[in-house]
Amino acid sequence: MKSKRFEALDARPVNKDGFVTEWPEVGLIAMNGPNDPQPSIRIQNGKVVELDGKSRDEFDMIDTFIADYGIKLDNAEAVNAMDSLELARKLVDINVPRAEVVKLTTAMTPAKICEVIGKMTVLEMMMSVTKMRARKSPANQAHVTNLKDNPVQIAADAAEASLRGFAELETTVGIARYAPFNAIALMVGAQVGRPGILTQCAVEEATELNLGMRGFTAYAETVSVYGTEPVFMDGDDTPWSKAFLASCYASRGLKMRFTSGTGSEVQMGYAEGKSMLYLEARCLYITKAAGSQGIQNGSVSCVGVPAAVPGGIRAILAENLIATALDLECASSNDQTFTHSDLRRVARSLMQFVPGTDFICSGYSATPNYDNMFAGSNWDADDYDDWIIIQRDLKVDGGLVPVLEEDVTRVRNKAAKVIQAVFRELGLTEISDEEVEAATYARGSQDMPNRNVVEDIKAAEDLLKRGLTGVDIVKALAKSGFEDVATSVYGMLRQRVAGDYLHTSAILTDKFEVISAVNQPNDYNGPQTGYQISDEKWEQLKTIRQAISPENV
Amino acid sequence: MDEKTLRNIIEEVMKEFGAGSGGGTATAVMTAPSVSSASGTLKISEAAPAERGTNPREVVIALAPGFGGRMTSTITGVDHGEVLREVCAGIEEQGLTYRFIRVFRTADVGFIAHEAAKLSGSGIGIGIQSRGTTVIHQKDLPPLSNLELFSQAPLIDLETFRAIGENAAKYAKSESPSPVPVRNDQMARPRYQAIAALWHIKETQLCDPNKKTATLRVEYR
Amino acid sequence: MESEELIRQIMDEVMKNLAKDQVSFAKKPAGANGSAGSVSAANYPLGEKMPEKIKSATGKVLSDFSVDKVISGQLTAEDFRIAPETLELQAQVAESVGRDTLARNMRRAAELIKVPDDELLQVYNSLRPYRSTKAELYGIADGLESKYGCTVNAAFIREAADVYEKRGRLKAD
Repeated sequence: MKSKRFEALDARPVNKDGFVTEWPEVGLIAMNGPNDPQPSIRIQNGKVVELDGKSRDEFDMIDTFIADYGIKLDNAEAVNAMDSLELARKLVDINVPRAEVVKLTTAMTPAKICEVIGKMTVLEMMMSVTKMRARKSPANQAHVTNLKDNPVQIAADAAEASLRGFAELETTVGIARYAPFNAIALMVGAQVGRPGILTQCAVEEATELNLGMRGFTAYAETVSVYGTEPVFMDGDDTPWSKAFLASCYASRGLKMRFTSGTGSEVQMGYAEGKSMLYLEARCLYITKAAGSQGIQNGSVSCVGVPAAVPGGIRAILAENLIATALDLECASSNDQTFTHSDLRRVARSLMQFVPGTDFICSGYSATPNYDNMFAGSNWDADDYDDWIIIQRDLKVDGGLVPVLEEDVTRVRNKAAKVIQAVFRELGLTEISDEEVEAATYARGSQDMPNRNVVEDIKAAEDLLKRGLTGVDIVKALAKSGFEDVATSVYGMLRQRVAGDYLHTSAILTDKFEVISAVNQPNDYNGPQTGYQISDEKWEQLKTIRQAISPENV
Repeated sequence: MDEKTLRNIIEEVMKEFGAGSGGGTATAVMTAPSVSSASGTLKISEAAPAERGTNPREVVIALAPGFGGRMTSTITGVDHGEVLREVCAGIEEQGLTYRFIRVFRTADVGFIAHEAAKLSGSGIGIGIQSRGTTVIHQKDLPPLSNLELFSQAPLIDLETFRAIGENAAKYAKSESPSPVPVRNDQMARPRYQAIAALWHIKETQLCDPNKKTATLRVEYR
Repeated sequence: MESEELIRQIMDEVMKNLAKDQVSFAKKPAGANGSAGSVSAANYPLGEKMPEKIKSATGKVLSDFSVDKVISGQLTAEDFRIAPETLELQAQVAESVGRDTLARNMRRAAELIKVPDDELLQVYNSLRPYRSTKAELYGIADGLESKYGCTVNAAFIREAADVYEKRGRLKAD
């Protein structure tokens, strides 16, 4: 006979998730793997001759790159000889300033930092992230995509997301050739919602750089690195090509961060028997070595892998912590579905939501998940009120603010009209009034009329051939009477001449002022220090449309 | 999987290849009976090393190391023989021919499809992994870009495989087809990702970095 | 053994080059560009605190930029490109807050400003695995060095070529 208790449990959403047992031989283990190397470093004549148990003649490409560029050597032998438990305590201790910890962590080897972090509970890791985050104030990022690559909807969703408080917006494509349309619609829509929003379009590396060079994006994020050499090859890059790519972006005045995450190596079949966190630590030292200002990590699109093994969600927090400890900007994932259970997805996100990171989600789906072309985010547009109310419950600034329906429809409508005008001025495909109307009130692409995809793709390819740039968009906006949006898009282009936003954890205010870890470094050292929610901000976070006030009763 | 098991698998695969090898060339394979109408169980054997085709009316289909060999169905249990029938039917409907190759160097679907495109007389190729992930590629694009990508293996049904064949053929004829509608299920990852990883680990264990891409003889018995 | 020797030798050269570049940059006076010698985090954000000293790659002064000049055509897409001198200043800002690798990246980037978009994309693609022979990569490095004066990047590409050779990641003939 079947237990009714178990019958009910079996029917719960969590039991639709996939779980697997650990398989350390192929790297299916979250952290502290039995085959992870023992930390070691030996330096001769200013050169690393041994790293984590391998001598220089045994180094693969990644070892070589980390040994030559990724570790501060002056103090490395001394730091690596220190007791890992003592180092773990320093990471948590509010009395040890961030700057002092950074001196230690940047001198550690990948295996050493894993050993140190491996001694901490998730609560201690959260304490440490609060201290180690590079920028003083936390922020958030959104995904803006849809199943049909509909540019009118992208513009409207971008405007709404900007109004709701996201500092960065990311799009990608269902069909690769749509990329220029998606990038332009996102940039223009974002500036309608709130001036100064940074935007990106995640596509193949060379294409992504090309879009940036033209001024259709302000930054790049999907510059992926991997922890084993064979996976790096399948990712079609090397540490050298990725470091060169990082310099290409900076040479065009474009902000850029790398991407990595636990589980990618095992997911791609070549983990070399090492734990997910150890391989991710290697990615983070590659990132540091290449001179990238930051990283998007936290398993990202591979989250189903660590989430399926014991301690996987802890390992994800651990990798975020390593990123911050290496003084990198950390866009901390929370951007991919990994469970059917609402309880699990909240528990997973609290790890970054409570301490705050540079971008808590990277990103939060600004559409319902059926339109999320990153295969679904951990949070979507249908969760907006939940997120805002959790912020209010805990008095945490999670990067979003409550908004009113009339403001949302206003900016959506304007963004749709603006992209309609831009398309007309640039001689692209037609956007009808019917589409503008639909985008204003749409929840997602199911509410949008179909477009002529073949014509759109032709126009998008033609736009690249014609050599259009961000400057042409500014002109098109001005010509069609949207001077305010023209000024904002110009404001974004202007940033690339000064390059201030190339620094760690940079975002822009609505007045195009740069806020980064240089002019707003995190100075947390216990209660009432570091980022504090101002009275004005708290007033804003408190005021939700659902709350009934005594006067109304 | 330990070394011994792996060795056994490789030996078995090698035996299979030995049995079926009749010194086939690209042309020999193309004159074989049509895959779309064949009945029976899929039998794939390795023939000569793959060469670049000259026929502008062909689409090259590249299979990952395990497809139709060590693995016999996709992650949702769709039979590999059925998959190839549908893809080929789609190509035939457009009046074009097809040719099969197997890539051993990598199990990455982007590279596999790009290899197909580079060897294809039309410059259009299709790459298919054992779990079902599929890409339509064009030879002049970067390897990790694509014409159409079907990244969520659990969502690709037989109808989609047929449409993939059709669209690949249309690209080969220099037409601009409407891309096969993209499907998206945000709950595919929670359910399948870890299992897909196991799948891919097994496929990469069948890779051989030094082995050249081979022409395949595809039969149904 | 021989290739290890070679790598070591080239690494030494790279390190020397890097050091030399840093010195020569630091010594650069008020700058060809009229920018203000050396800066630190105190001057940041440069675009807000000293826009009259920041010039674009085309030599136009940032404080003279306006949206109207874009609309009238006085400013073109070319004018929205960062200048090597500006990236050098940003590298100094990064160094002043202990971010040496970021500074190194900015200095590599400063050299690449002159390289046209298409060529830059080509170099990047050539550096991807299995794309180039060793001789091709050395040729690319020589070209960047002689045409655009990219000495740091040239050394970096040669170093990559040597590592690719050792790890079997060059184009098979």
